[in-house]
Amino acid sequence: MIRTENVTKCFGSVRSLHEVSVTVENGSIFGLIGSNGSGKSTLLRTLCGIYKPDQGDVLCCGEPVFENTAIKEKIVYLSDDPYFLPHSTMADMCQMYRSIYPKFSMERYRELVQKFGLEERRKIQTFSKGMQKQVSVLLGLSCMPEYLLCDETFDGLDPVMRQLVKHLIIDDVAERNLCCIIASHNLREVEDMADHIALLHQGEMVLESELDDVRTNISKIQLSFPKERCDEMEVKLQEMQPLSVVRRGSLFTVIVRGNEESLSGWVEEQKPQFCEFIPLTLDEVFITEMEERGYEFTKDLIG
Amino acid sequence: MRLQCITVDLRDRKQLYEQLIDNIRHLILSGEIKPGEKLPSVRNLAKELGINPNTIQKAYNELEREGVILTLPGRGSVVLTETDELRRKQLEKIEETLTGIAREAEMTGITGAEFLQAADNAWKKTNAAEKEENE
Repeated sequence: MIRTENVTKCFGSVRSLHEVSVTVENGSIFGLIGSNGSGKSTLLRTLCGIYKPDQGDVLCCGEPVFENTAIKEKIVYLSDDPYFLPHSTMADMCQMYRSIYPKFSMERYRELVQKFGLEERRKIQTFSKGMQKQVSVLLGLSCMPEYLLCDETFDGLDPVMRQLVKHLIIDDVAERNLCCIIASHNLREVEDMADHIALLHQGEMVLESELDDVRTNISKIQLSFPKERCDEMEVKLQEMQPLSVVRRGSLFTVIVRGNEESLSGWVEEQKPQFCEFIPLTLDEVFITEMEERGYEFTKDLIG
Repeated sequence: MRLQCITVDLRDRKQLYEQLIDNIRHLILSGEIKPGEKLPSVRNLAKELGINPNTIQKAYNELEREGVILTLPGRGSVVLTETDELRRKQLEKIEETLTGIAREAEMTGITGAEFLQAADNAWKKTNAAEKEENE
Protein backbone atom coordinates (compact mmCIF):
# COMPACT_ATOMS: atom_id res chain seq x y z
CA MET A 1 0.00 0.00 0.00
CA ILE A 2 1.24 3.46 -0.83
CA ARG A 3 -0.43 6.58 0.49
CA THR A 4 -0.12 10.28 0.97
CA GLU A 5 -1.59 12.22 3.86
CA ASN A 6 -2.34 15.90 3.32
CA VAL A 7 0.68 16.37 1.11
CA THR A 8 1.49 19.92 0.08
CA LYS A 9 4.35 20.78 -2.25
CA CYS A 10 5.37 24.23 -3.41
CA PHE A 11 8.05 25.39 -5.80
CA GLY A 12 8.78 28.96 -4.86
CA SER A 13 5.50 30.77 -5.11
CA VAL A 14 3.86 28.01 -7.18
CA ARG A 15 1.77 25.59 -5.17
CA SER A 16 1.81 22.30 -7.10
CA LEU A 17 0.02 20.11 -4.60
CA HIS A 18 -2.38 21.16 -1.91
CA GLU A 19 -3.33 18.76 0.88
CA VAL A 20 -3.56 15.69 -1.30
CA SER A 21 -4.53 12.48 0.46
CA VAL A 22 -4.70 9.32 -1.53
CA THR A 23 -4.31 5.60 -0.84
CA VAL A 24 -3.49 2.99 -3.44
CA GLU A 25 -3.71 -0.68 -2.50
CA ASN A 26 -1.50 -3.46 -3.79
CA GLY A 27 -2.92 -5.40 -6.71
CA SER A 28 -4.68 -2.36 -8.02
CA ILE A 29 -4.37 -0.06 -11.03
CA PHE A 30 -4.92 3.57 -10.19
CA GLY A 31 -5.62 6.14 -12.90
CA LEU A 32 -4.53 9.67 -12.13
CA ILE A 33 -6.14 12.19 -14.46
CA GLY A 34 -5.49 15.88 -14.75
CA SER A 35 -4.81 18.60 -17.28
CA ASN A 36 -1.32 19.95 -17.91
CA GLY A 37 0.08 21.54 -14.79
CA SER A 38 -2.48 20.01 -12.47
CA GLY A 39 0.19 18.35 -10.32
CA LYS A 40 0.19 14.76 -11.62
CA SER A 41 3.93 14.55 -12.15
CA THR A 42 4.65 16.32 -8.89
CA LEU A 43 2.46 13.82 -7.07
CA LEU A 44 4.22 10.87 -8.72
CA ARG A 45 7.65 12.31 -7.95
CA THR A 46 6.62 12.88 -4.36
CA LEU A 47 5.28 9.33 -4.13
CA CYS A 48 8.56 7.80 -5.24
CA GLY A 49 10.70 9.99 -3.01
CA ILE A 50 12.27 12.30 -5.56
CA TYR A 51 10.60 15.31 -3.97
CA LYS A 52 10.27 15.87 -0.27
CA PRO A 53 6.80 17.09 0.61
CA ASP A 54 6.63 20.51 2.31
CA GLN A 55 3.83 19.23 4.49
CA GLY A 56 2.21 15.88 5.11
CA ASP A 57 3.52 12.33 4.78
CA VAL A 58 4.17 9.89 2.00
CA LEU A 59 4.06 6.35 3.31
CA CYS A 60 4.85 3.15 1.50
CA CYS A 61 4.23 -0.08 3.46
CA GLY A 62 3.85 2.20 6.48
CA GLU A 63 7.29 3.81 6.14
CA PRO A 64 8.24 7.24 4.81
CA VAL A 65 9.62 7.02 1.29
CA PHE A 66 11.96 9.99 1.16
CA GLU A 67 15.63 8.85 1.24
CA ASN A 68 14.54 5.38 2.31
CA THR A 69 16.57 3.02 0.13
CA ALA A 70 14.89 -0.17 1.32
CA ILE A 71 11.50 1.15 0.21
CA LYS A 72 12.76 2.79 -2.97
CA GLU A 73 14.06 -0.57 -4.17
CA LYS A 74 10.44 -1.60 -4.53
CA ILE A 75 9.39 1.46 -6.53
CA VAL A 76 9.97 2.13 -10.21
CA TYR A 77 9.10 5.52 -11.63
CA LEU A 78 8.75 5.78 -15.40
CA SER A 79 9.32 9.42 -16.19
CA ASP A 80 7.50 11.11 -19.05
CA ASP A 81 10.94 12.09 -20.32
CA PRO A 82 13.07 8.98 -19.81
CA TYR A 83 16.74 9.57 -19.13
CA PHE A 84 19.50 7.33 -20.40
CA LEU A 85 23.23 7.71 -19.84
CA PRO A 86 24.91 9.40 -22.81
CA HIS A 87 25.79 6.98 -25.62
CA SER A 88 24.51 4.04 -23.65
CA THR A 89 22.93 0.94 -25.15
CA MET A 90 20.10 -1.03 -23.61
CA ALA A 91 22.63 -3.59 -22.35
CA ASP A 92 24.52 -0.78 -20.55
CA MET A 93 21.35 0.52 -18.94
CA CYS A 94 20.46 -3.01 -17.92
CA GLN A 95 23.82 -3.23 -16.11
CA MET A 96 23.11 0.03 -14.35
CA TYR A 97 19.63 -0.93 -13.20
CA ARG A 98 20.90 -4.34 -12.06
CA SER A 99 23.35 -2.60 -9.77
CA ILE A 100 20.59 -0.46 -8.26
CA TYR A 101 17.60 -2.80 -8.03
CA PRO A 102 18.54 -6.04 -6.22
CA LYS A 103 15.43 -7.80 -7.54
CA PHE A 104 16.30 -7.07 -11.17
CA SER A 105 15.53 -10.19 -13.18
CA MET A 106 17.72 -11.04 -16.15
CA GLU A 107 15.22 -13.70 -17.14
CA ARG A 108 12.46 -11.14 -17.34
CA TYR A 109 14.75 -8.74 -19.18
CA ARG A 110 15.56 -11.34 -21.85
CA GLU A 111 11.91 -12.23 -22.22
CA LEU A 112 10.90 -8.59 -22.63
CA VAL A 113 13.68 -7.81 -25.10
CA GLN A 114 12.23 -10.58 -27.25
CA LYS A 115 8.66 -9.36 -26.82
CA PHE A 116 9.45 -5.75 -27.65
CA GLY A 117 11.83 -6.72 -30.44
CA LEU A 118 14.36 -4.00 -29.60
CA GLU A 119 18.04 -4.15 -30.54
CA GLU A 120 20.07 -4.46 -27.39
CA ARG A 121 23.37 -3.23 -28.83
CA ARG A 122 22.09 -0.08 -30.49
CA LYS A 123 22.64 3.27 -28.83
CA ILE A 124 19.42 4.28 -27.15
CA GLN A 125 19.83 7.87 -28.37
CA THR A 126 19.40 6.63 -31.94
CA PHE A 127 16.00 5.14 -31.08
CA SER A 128 12.83 7.08 -31.82
CA LYS A 129 10.95 8.73 -28.97
CA GLY A 130 8.35 5.98 -28.81
CA MET A 131 11.03 3.30 -28.79
CA GLN A 132 12.81 5.10 -25.95
CA LYS A 133 9.56 4.94 -24.01
CA GLN A 134 9.48 1.22 -24.70
CA VAL A 135 13.04 0.88 -23.39
CA SER A 136 12.06 2.61 -20.16
CA VAL A 137 9.04 0.33 -19.71
CA LEU A 138 11.16 -2.72 -20.48
CA LEU A 139 13.85 -1.79 -17.97
CA GLY A 140 11.28 -0.71 -15.40
CA LEU A 141 9.39 -3.99 -15.51
CA SER A 142 12.65 -5.97 -15.39
CA CYS A 143 13.32 -4.40 -11.98
CA MET A 144 10.35 -6.43 -10.72
CA PRO A 145 8.87 -3.49 -8.81
CA GLU A 146 6.08 -3.73 -6.29
CA TYR A 147 5.05 -0.21 -7.17
CA LEU A 148 5.09 1.08 -10.70
CA LEU A 149 4.48 4.77 -11.29
CA CYS A 150 3.88 5.63 -14.93
CA ASP A 151 3.96 9.25 -16.02
CA GLU A 152 2.18 9.58 -19.37
CA THR A 153 3.78 6.29 -20.34
CA PHE A 154 1.10 5.31 -22.80
CA ASP A 155 0.99 8.59 -24.69
CA GLY A 156 3.94 7.92 -26.96
CA LEU A 157 3.18 4.27 -27.68
CA ASP A 158 1.57 2.94 -30.84
CA PRO A 159 -1.61 0.87 -30.43
CA VAL A 160 0.19 -2.48 -30.69
CA MET A 161 2.76 -1.53 -28.08
CA ARG A 162 0.10 0.00 -25.89
CA GLN A 163 -1.74 -3.32 -25.91
CA LEU A 164 1.46 -5.20 -25.07
CA VAL A 165 2.34 -2.90 -22.17
CA LYS A 166 -1.23 -3.04 -20.89
CA HIS A 167 -1.13 -6.83 -20.87
CA LEU A 168 2.27 -6.88 -19.17
CA ILE A 169 1.02 -4.60 -16.40
CA ILE A 170 -2.19 -6.59 -15.93
CA ASP A 171 -0.18 -9.82 -15.77
CA ASP A 172 1.97 -8.34 -13.04
CA VAL A 173 -1.06 -7.11 -11.13
CA ALA A 174 -2.57 -10.59 -11.32
CA GLU A 175 0.61 -12.57 -10.64
CA ARG A 176 2.69 -10.42 -8.35
CA ASN A 177 0.12 -8.12 -6.81
CA LEU A 178 1.74 -5.11 -8.46
CA CYS A 179 0.46 -1.70 -7.54
CA CYS A 180 0.38 0.55 -10.57
CA ILE A 181 -0.35 4.27 -10.79
CA ILE A 182 -0.85 5.68 -14.26
CA ALA A 183 -0.89 9.43 -14.73
CA SER A 184 -2.39 10.78 -17.91
CA HIS A 185 -4.10 13.90 -19.20
CA ASN A 186 -6.47 11.69 -21.13
CA LEU A 187 -9.21 9.67 -19.50
CA ARG A 188 -9.29 7.25 -22.44
CA GLU A 189 -5.74 6.14 -21.74
CA VAL A 190 -6.67 4.66 -18.41
CA GLU A 191 -10.37 3.81 -18.42
CA ASP A 192 -9.95 0.29 -19.79
CA MET A 193 -7.29 -0.63 -17.23
CA ALA A 194 -7.80 1.20 -13.98
CA ASP A 195 -10.02 0.12 -11.10
CA HIS A 196 -9.68 3.42 -9.26
CA ILE A 197 -9.70 6.89 -10.74
CA ALA A 198 -8.68 10.22 -9.29
CA LEU A 199 -8.86 13.65 -10.79
CA LEU A 200 -6.38 16.39 -9.96
CA HIS A 201 -7.09 20.02 -10.67
CA GLN A 202 -4.76 22.86 -9.74
CA GLY A 203 -2.98 20.66 -7.24
CA GLU A 204 -6.11 19.48 -5.50
CA MET A 205 -7.80 16.12 -5.58
CA VAL A 206 -11.24 16.85 -6.96
CA LEU A 207 -12.62 13.36 -7.29
CA GLU A 208 -11.46 9.94 -6.20
CA SER A 209 -13.51 6.82 -6.59
CA GLU A 210 -13.73 3.23 -7.63
CA LEU A 211 -14.22 3.25 -11.38
CA ASP A 212 -17.44 1.21 -11.34
CA ASP A 213 -18.95 3.34 -8.59
CA VAL A 214 -18.37 6.47 -10.61
CA ARG A 215 -20.71 5.11 -13.20
CA THR A 216 -23.37 3.45 -11.10
CA ASN A 217 -24.15 6.44 -8.93
CA ILE A 218 -25.40 8.48 -11.80
CA SER A 219 -28.03 7.67 -14.45
CA LYS A 220 -29.20 8.99 -17.74
CA ILE A 221 -32.90 8.48 -18.50
CA GLN A 222 -34.74 9.15 -21.70
CA LEU A 223 -38.44 9.77 -21.25
CA SER A 224 -41.26 10.81 -23.46
CA PHE A 225 -44.74 12.06 -22.53
CA PRO A 226 -47.90 12.84 -24.48
CA LYS A 227 -47.74 16.39 -25.88
CA GLU A 228 -50.31 17.85 -23.50
CA ARG A 229 -48.38 16.68 -20.42
CA CYS A 230 -44.92 17.83 -21.51
CA ASP A 231 -44.97 21.29 -19.94
CA GLU A 232 -46.35 19.94 -16.69
CA MET A 233 -43.70 17.20 -16.64
CA GLU A 234 -40.88 19.62 -17.28
CA VAL A 235 -41.70 21.18 -13.93
CA LYS A 236 -42.42 17.87 -12.25
CA LEU A 237 -39.07 16.40 -13.26
CA GLN A 238 -37.33 18.96 -11.06
CA GLU A 239 -38.60 16.91 -8.10
CA MET A 240 -35.90 14.36 -8.88
CA GLN A 241 -33.30 17.08 -8.37
CA PRO A 242 -31.75 16.30 -11.71
CA LEU A 243 -28.25 17.41 -12.65
CA SER A 244 -29.48 18.29 -16.09
CA VAL A 245 -32.67 18.12 -18.14
CA VAL A 246 -32.66 18.49 -21.90
CA ARG A 247 -35.98 18.68 -23.71
CA ARG A 248 -36.38 18.01 -27.40
CA GLY A 249 -40.03 18.14 -28.40
CA SER A 250 -41.69 15.55 -26.19
CA LEU A 251 -38.47 13.69 -25.44
CA PHE A 252 -36.63 14.44 -22.22
CA THR A 253 -33.08 13.43 -21.40
CA VAL A 254 -32.50 13.58 -17.68
CA ILE A 255 -29.21 13.07 -15.88
CA VAL A 256 -29.73 12.37 -12.24
CA ARG A 257 -27.92 10.96 -9.22
CA GLY A 258 -28.96 7.43 -8.29
CA ASN A 259 -29.22 4.07 -10.04
CA GLU A 260 -31.95 2.35 -12.00
CA GLU A 261 -33.15 0.45 -8.95
CA SER A 262 -33.74 3.53 -6.85
CA LEU A 263 -35.19 5.67 -9.63
CA SER A 264 -37.40 3.43 -11.71
CA GLY A 265 -40.23 3.50 -9.14
CA TRP A 266 -40.65 7.25 -9.30
CA VAL A 267 -40.28 7.28 -13.06
CA GLU A 268 -42.92 4.59 -13.57
CA GLU A 269 -45.37 6.57 -11.45
CA GLN A 270 -45.19 9.43 -13.91
CA LYS A 271 -46.50 7.06 -16.59
CA PRO A 272 -44.18 7.98 -19.42
CA GLN A 273 -45.01 6.75 -22.91
CA PHE A 274 -41.48 5.62 -23.23
CA CYS A 275 -38.68 5.29 -20.74
CA GLU A 276 -35.15 4.02 -21.06
CA PHE A 277 -32.15 3.99 -18.75
CA ILE A 278 -28.95 4.52 -20.68
CA PRO A 279 -25.60 3.80 -19.06
CA LEU A 280 -23.35 6.82 -19.07
CA THR A 281 -19.90 6.70 -20.54
CA LEU A 282 -17.11 7.65 -18.21
CA ASP A 283 -16.65 10.86 -20.17
CA GLU A 284 -20.21 11.91 -19.53
CA VAL A 285 -19.90 11.15 -15.83
CA PHE A 286 -16.76 13.22 -15.55
CA ILE A 287 -18.20 16.16 -17.43
CA THR A 288 -21.31 16.09 -15.27
CA GLU A 289 -19.45 15.70 -11.99
CA MET A 290 -17.03 18.47 -12.86
CA GLU A 291 -19.61 20.90 -14.16
CA GLU A 292 -21.51 20.42 -10.95
CA ARG A 293 -18.38 21.42 -9.07
CA GLY A 294 -18.06 24.49 -11.26
CA TYR A 295 -15.19 23.33 -13.43
CA GLU A 296 -15.30 23.93 -17.12
CA PHE A 297 -12.09 22.22 -18.10
CA THR A 298 -13.13 18.65 -18.65
CA LYS A 299 -13.51 18.88 -22.38
CA ASP A 300 -9.77 18.88 -23.07
CA LEU A 301 -9.25 15.96 -20.69
CA ILE A 302 -11.38 13.56 -22.61
CA GLY A 303 -10.66 14.97 -26.08
CA MET B 1 -14.21 -25.03 -19.57
CA ARG B 2 -12.48 -23.12 -22.29
CA LEU B 3 -11.41 -19.57 -21.48
CA GLN B 4 -12.28 -18.42 -24.96
CA CYS B 5 -16.01 -18.77 -24.22
CA ILE B 6 -15.95 -15.63 -22.10
CA THR B 7 -15.61 -12.39 -24.02
CA VAL B 8 -16.05 -8.68 -23.44
CA ASP B 9 -16.45 -5.67 -25.68
CA LEU B 10 -14.37 -2.73 -24.50
CA ARG B 11 -16.40 -0.27 -26.56
CA ASP B 12 -19.73 -1.32 -25.07
CA ARG B 13 -21.38 1.25 -22.85
CA LYS B 14 -22.19 -1.47 -20.38
CA GLN B 15 -19.64 -1.85 -17.65
CA LEU B 16 -17.09 -4.60 -18.01
CA TYR B 17 -18.06 -6.48 -14.88
CA GLU B 18 -21.72 -6.45 -15.92
CA GLN B 19 -20.78 -7.81 -19.31
CA LEU B 20 -18.87 -10.59 -17.59
CA ILE B 21 -21.80 -11.45 -15.36
CA ASP B 22 -24.25 -11.60 -18.30
CA ASN B 23 -21.79 -13.62 -20.30
CA ILE B 24 -21.27 -16.24 -17.62
CA ARG B 25 -25.01 -16.46 -16.95
CA HIS B 26 -25.64 -17.11 -20.65
CA LEU B 27 -22.95 -19.76 -20.73
CA ILE B 28 -24.58 -21.56 -17.82
CA LEU B 29 -28.09 -21.29 -19.26
CA SER B 30 -27.00 -22.51 -22.67
CA GLY B 31 -25.29 -25.48 -21.04
CA GLU B 32 -21.84 -24.40 -22.19
CA ILE B 33 -20.73 -24.49 -18.57
CA LYS B 34 -22.20 -27.41 -16.67
CA PRO B 35 -23.25 -27.22 -13.04
CA GLY B 36 -20.38 -28.29 -10.81
CA GLU B 37 -17.84 -27.18 -13.36
CA LYS B 38 -15.05 -24.82 -12.35
CA LEU B 39 -14.82 -21.30 -13.72
CA PRO B 40 -11.39 -20.06 -14.81
CA SER B 41 -9.41 -18.45 -12.02
CA VAL B 42 -9.51 -14.68 -11.69
CA ARG B 43 -5.84 -14.51 -12.61
CA ASN B 44 -6.08 -16.60 -15.73
CA LEU B 45 -9.14 -14.82 -16.98
CA ALA B 46 -7.53 -11.42 -16.32
CA LYS B 47 -4.50 -12.42 -18.35
CA GLU B 48 -6.53 -13.97 -21.13
CA LEU B 49 -8.86 -11.00 -21.55
CA GLY B 50 -6.39 -8.28 -20.61
CA ILE B 51 -8.78 -6.96 -17.99
CA ASN B 52 -7.96 -5.69 -14.55
CA PRO B 53 -8.21 -8.67 -12.14
CA ASN B 54 -10.22 -6.52 -9.72
CA THR B 55 -12.94 -6.16 -12.34
CA ILE B 56 -13.16 -9.93 -12.71
CA GLN B 57 -13.15 -10.42 -8.96
CA LYS B 58 -16.06 -8.00 -8.76
CA ALA B 59 -18.06 -9.97 -11.32
CA TYR B 60 -17.35 -13.24 -9.46
CA ASN B 61 -18.36 -11.65 -6.15
CA GLU B 62 -21.63 -10.50 -7.64
CA LEU B 63 -22.33 -13.94 -9.11
CA GLU B 64 -21.59 -15.49 -5.75
CA ARG B 65 -23.93 -13.03 -4.02
CA GLU B 66 -26.64 -14.08 -6.45
CA GLY B 67 -25.92 -17.70 -5.63
CA VAL B 68 -24.90 -18.61 -9.17
CA ILE B 69 -21.42 -19.71 -8.23
CA LEU B 70 -19.64 -20.75 -5.08
CA THR B 71 -16.06 -19.76 -4.36
CA LEU B 72 -14.07 -22.05 -2.13
CA PRO B 73 -10.86 -20.61 -0.74
CA GLY B 74 -7.91 -22.04 -2.65
CA ARG B 75 -10.09 -24.18 -4.86
CA GLY B 76 -11.62 -21.73 -7.25
CA SER B 77 -15.19 -20.91 -8.22
CA VAL B 78 -17.69 -23.64 -8.98
CA VAL B 79 -21.02 -23.29 -10.76
CA LEU B 80 -23.92 -24.27 -8.52
CA THR B 81 -26.60 -26.62 -9.77
CA GLU B 82 -29.57 -24.31 -9.34
CA THR B 83 -30.21 -23.39 -12.96
CA ASP B 84 -33.97 -23.15 -12.28
CA GLU B 85 -33.54 -19.92 -10.37
CA LEU B 86 -31.35 -18.56 -13.16
CA ARG B 87 -33.96 -19.52 -15.72
CA ARG B 88 -36.67 -17.78 -13.77
CA LYS B 89 -34.60 -14.61 -13.58
CA GLN B 90 -33.83 -14.77 -17.27
CA LEU B 91 -37.54 -15.10 -18.02
CA GLU B 92 -38.26 -12.09 -15.84
CA LYS B 93 -35.69 -10.10 -17.74
CA ILE B 94 -37.17 -11.12 -21.09
CA GLU B 95 -40.62 -10.13 -19.91
CA GLU B 96 -39.30 -6.76 -18.88
CA THR B 97 -37.77 -6.19 -22.31
CA LEU B 98 -40.98 -7.29 -23.96
CA THR B 99 -42.98 -4.85 -21.84
CA GLY B 100 -41.02 -2.00 -23.36
CA ILE B 101 -41.63 -3.29 -26.85
CA ALA B 102 -45.32 -3.87 -26.13
CA ARG B 103 -45.70 -0.33 -24.88
CA GLU B 104 -44.07 1.00 -28.01
CA ALA B 105 -46.38 -1.19 -30.11
CA GLU B 106 -49.43 0.10 -28.31
CA MET B 107 -48.34 3.69 -28.78
CA THR B 108 -48.05 3.19 -32.50
CA GLY B 109 -51.52 1.67 -32.71
CA ILE B 110 -50.66 -2.00 -33.05
CA THR B 111 -53.25 -4.42 -31.67
CA GLY B 112 -52.57 -7.19 -29.16
CA ALA B 113 -53.24 -9.87 -31.76
CA GLU B 114 -50.77 -8.30 -34.17
CA PHE B 115 -48.20 -8.05 -31.42
CA LEU B 116 -48.55 -11.72 -30.50
CA GLN B 117 -48.38 -12.66 -34.17
CA ALA B 118 -45.13 -10.70 -34.50
CA ALA B 119 -43.71 -12.42 -31.42
CA ASP B 120 -44.74 -15.81 -32.78
CA ASN B 121 -43.09 -15.04 -36.13
CA ALA B 122 -39.90 -13.94 -34.40
CA TRP B 123 -39.82 -17.19 -32.40
CA LYS B 124 -40.33 -19.32 -35.49
CA LYS B 125 -37.64 -17.44 -37.39
CA THR B 126 -35.14 -18.05 -34.56
CA ASN B 127 -35.96 -21.75 -34.47
CA ALA B 128 -35.65 -22.07 -38.24
CA ALA B 129 -32.28 -20.34 -38.20
CA GLU B 130 -31.06 -22.68 -35.47
CA LYS B 131 -32.22 -25.76 -37.35
CA GLU B 132 -30.37 -24.59 -40.45
CA GLU B 133 -27.24 -24.09 -38.39
CA ASN B 134 -27.50 -27.60 -36.98
CA GLU B 135 -27.93 -29.13 -40.40
